[in-house]
Amino acid sequence: MPFKLTKSTVTAEENCTVEDAMPLLEHLIAHPAAKIDLRRCTSLHSAVLQVLLAAQPKAVALPHETFLARWMGPLFAKAGR
Amino acid sequence: MSTPLLERFVSEARELLQGAASSLLVLEKNPHDEAAINDVFRSVHTLKGSVGLFDYPAFTKLVHAGEDVLSSVREGKLALTSDLVDTLLDSLDQVSAWVDDIDGSGVLSQGADGISKEMTARLRAVLPLEFGAEKTPVAEVHTADLTAVDWVQSLPEAERLAAFTAAMNGAEIQAIEYQPLEDCFFNGEDPFILFRQIEALYGLTIEPSEPWAELGVLDPYRCILRFRALSAAPPPEIETLFRYVLEQVRMAQVPVHSLASVSGDLNGGPVYGDFVEEARRLAAAHNWPALRLAVGALLQLTAPGLLLASALRWLEAVLSSPQPNAVWVDALIGCIEKGEVNLQPLTSTTPQAAATKPPESQPAVAPPIPEPPLQTGLGALPPMFARILESQRQILGLPIPEGGLITRLDAVAQTVSNLLAAERRRAADSTAWTEAVDLAVAQNDASPVLDLLDRWLQTAGDQPLPAAQIATDPARSRPEAGEHLAQEIKQASRILKVDQAKVDTLMNLIGELVVSKNSLPFLAKRAEEVHGSREMSREIKDLHAVIDRLAQEMQSAIMAVRMLPVSEVFDRFPRLVRDVARKLGKHIDLVVEGADTAADKNIIESLGDPLLHIVRNSIDHGIESPEERSAAGKPAQATVLLRAFQDSDQVVIEITDDGKGIDPEKIKASALSKGVIDAERAARLSDQDAINLVFTAGFSTAAKVSDLSGRGVGMDVVVNAVEKAGGSVSISSIKGEGTTVRLSLPLSMAVTRVMVVEAGGGMLLGIPMEHISETVRVHRDNVQRFKQSEAFVLREAIVPMIRLDNLLGIPATQWFGDGNEEDAVLVVRIGGNVVGLVVDHFREGMDIILKPFDGILSGIQGYSGSALLGDGRVLLVLNLKELL
Repeated sequence: MPFKLTKSTVTAEENCTVEDAMPLLEHLIAHPAAKIDLRRCTSLHSAVLQVLLAAQPKAVALPHETFLARWMGPLFAKAGR
Repeated sequence: MSTPLLERFVSEARELLQGAASSLLVLEKNPHDEAAINDVFRSVHTLKGSVGLFDYPAFTKLVHAGEDVLSSVREGKLALTSDLVDTLLDSLDQVSAWVDDIDGSGVLSQGADGISKEMTARLRAVLPLEFGAEKTPVAEVHTADLTAVDWVQSLPEAERLAAFTAAMNGAEIQAIEYQPLEDCFFNGEDPFILFRQIEALYGLTIEPSEPWAELGVLDPYRCILRFRALSAAPPPEIETLFRYVLEQVRMAQVPVHSLASVSGDLNGGPVYGDFVEEARRLAAAHNWPALRLAVGALLQLTAPGLLLASALRWLEAVLSSPQPNAVWVDALIGCIEKGEVNLQPLTSTTPQAAATKPPESQPAVAPPIPEPPLQTGLGALPPMFARILESQRQILGLPIPEGGLITRLDAVAQTVSNLLAAERRRAADSTAWTEAVDLAVAQNDASPVLDLLDRWLQTAGDQPLPAAQIATDPARSRPEAGEHLAQEIKQASRILKVDQAKVDTLMNLIGELVVSKNSLPFLAKRAEEVHGSREMSREIKDLHAVIDRLAQEMQSAIMAVRMLPVSEVFDRFPRLVRDVARKLGKHIDLVVEGADTAADKNIIESLGDPLLHIVRNSIDHGIESPEERSAAGKPAQATVLLRAFQDSDQVVIEITDDGKGIDPEKIKASALSKGVIDAERAARLSDQDAINLVFTAGFSTAAKVSDLSGRGVGMDVVVNAVEKAGGSVSISSIKGEGTTVRLSLPLSMAVTRVMVVEAGGGMLLGIPMEHISETVRVHRDNVQRFKQSEAFVLREAIVPMIRLDNLLGIPATQWFGDGNEEDAVLVVRIGGNVVGLVVDHFREGMDIILKPFDGILSGIQGYSGSALLGDGRVLLVLNLKELL
């Protein structure tokens, strides 16, 4: 499981695949206040991205990886983190 | 070119395209010509079917769109206008260019996906609604191009600036909008990852295409994301990246100027009057480096959130081009001066822009910098044509040193006329241009030329170009019609369609050559014997060897031209077998083997009817009903095997069925009752001989006459047809297990192999080799006489002997007593009977070109024709069937 799911924080591991979208969504439904930590994430499947966009969890940290950092930063900033 | 299938496709596609194009033209003249519309439709439909075998999605999609359009036309839902015909013809041209690509390299040219998408959209755009509706994403390409600009404006300034700077350095900016299918995750697609691979990506925004559902009901695997981005990568590259989802991607070239917008905080910051003045001066002097420095310095001093900073940033970006656009620089300086928000500060370099800032009213332009016409790198919206015209116009508008007008006019005139030629403009345009230039030279004043250019540019600007055309990168634009035509001619000449008569003439000529070549050995012999020159004789023989080789090669080359695969005949059988089998309620599986075996065209053609007859016979008489088969312990489904193969210089075709076989006793009984044979002979007949009786004329065992076979013409028709083609038929059958009919035909009818014999005291006669089973020498003492007839014993079989001389009515050479002499006997087999033919001498076997008798000689029985020998003598070839 590339996500460490706890009540307060969801920590993404390096590679988030399409299978992770469902558990992530379920967790975010169960814990609406959970924050997301994407620091270590280097690859994010569109389905996971979609869940994150829909749920708009507060981001503790954005990915370090350049591509994700560049394009995910504005997405979450815009959502009023 | 890789596979024969592909080769066949290419030649077939060319044919279909040609057919479709000419029918389209007929249609245009007469839109209600049903035959023509059916023709076009059929061609395109077939093409769609055949291209589907290969992996050319771009090709398939375009042809499919064409088919849909034609189908609507055929159903009368769509009127065929000239415009539509043009669009269709354009598509056909494009497809034909692709066929050339496939022929050349096996792959479509770069950018094919984009072209296909664009042309498909054009075709689909004309379709009635119900067609268009199911292809919405494709049909909406045009609107996408328009809206593309809207969202570009709302991108963050930094992103637009970055893209703009890239554009200033010569890149073209594409707006990409990608709306993945809802179920794309199930296809293993990851849309986001695709963007990772785009080079020079700007302003990627990811939004839901519909409002987010409540988290509780959100389906994470239904993709509703929409991706939008700008990229400076070349369109073909982007298309390649998105090739599997091209329908879901919309792309348009973004006019560079639309990227710019000046906005920000109005208040605070003084009005930089000094800077504006200084900047104007530098811009007027085209002193770009100095202006760049000034802008950079001021930008550092300005708070980034200010409107002024925004304007400065854009100005800096404009200046980053090697050849900054003076109009844009001016416009941005104006923004700084007025300090107002301007969402569209820049305009494309269209005449409108020129009108507000006509070059004539720029007196301050100090040293005229001759601007290279193509280096502006700006104003992407108007096509290249207008851009060049514009720059030419600007060049003319620049102040001109004393006496420089003529030189400059000359250069401009040349450029524009080249352009007109390249664009295939109407002749009137070229004439108008030449006239204007002449007038200008005469008046020593550029105004006539300027007026004409203005007029052209005005019309170009007034008519917004179709979005599709804007989206087309010039680099991948389709070849112009003329260019393409030339290409087609070059390509089409690879396969020639030639009248068979011409090939036949060529073959006859080669035949004559072979015959004349054969006279060289005689000449060599004469040189040696008559003129006593051995050396000469040897040289002639050497020469003969060379010509012999060449002639043989020519002969095999021309044979190859006439060769066809037997599949030409075999192809119609699957359908036939299916139909006949259904009619008779039998289950039959047709197996075809060796369909690519080739033989001469005439042979292949002569095969058709005999084969048809045999196969029908097999199905009708040979194969039992499923019940009978089951009772006999056979699988209910019968098998008919059509097999072709080459056996030395013969092509053999076997038709095998696993039916009930032929019962020799039944055949004998039937033959007896029909009076074909008598009881005594019937008793002596072996089983194989009995089976061979089916070849006898007038023999048919069919219990009832059906419309399929058994019309009493039987197998003798088959035998006649095959023998006419120089072949033979044999049949073997095992009762209860099946029958095999074997047709053996020469590969080619061009050359007949005969054995030359001497008879009648020196007369040369040819006997077709296929009849000869062996040559023997019979001791005269061993010849048995029964009254008038003679016979001899050959391997314990009695063979009747016939003297060829008697047969031909030549007085026989009398023979007295000496029993030690031997007779030369040719053992021939005619229709299953073995006969010994006594000749004077055996000569060599040879290949001849048989010429049937014509004119009054054609009625002569007993001869199949004549041939010319190398020494000029005529060889008569016997037709033994008629003689014996």
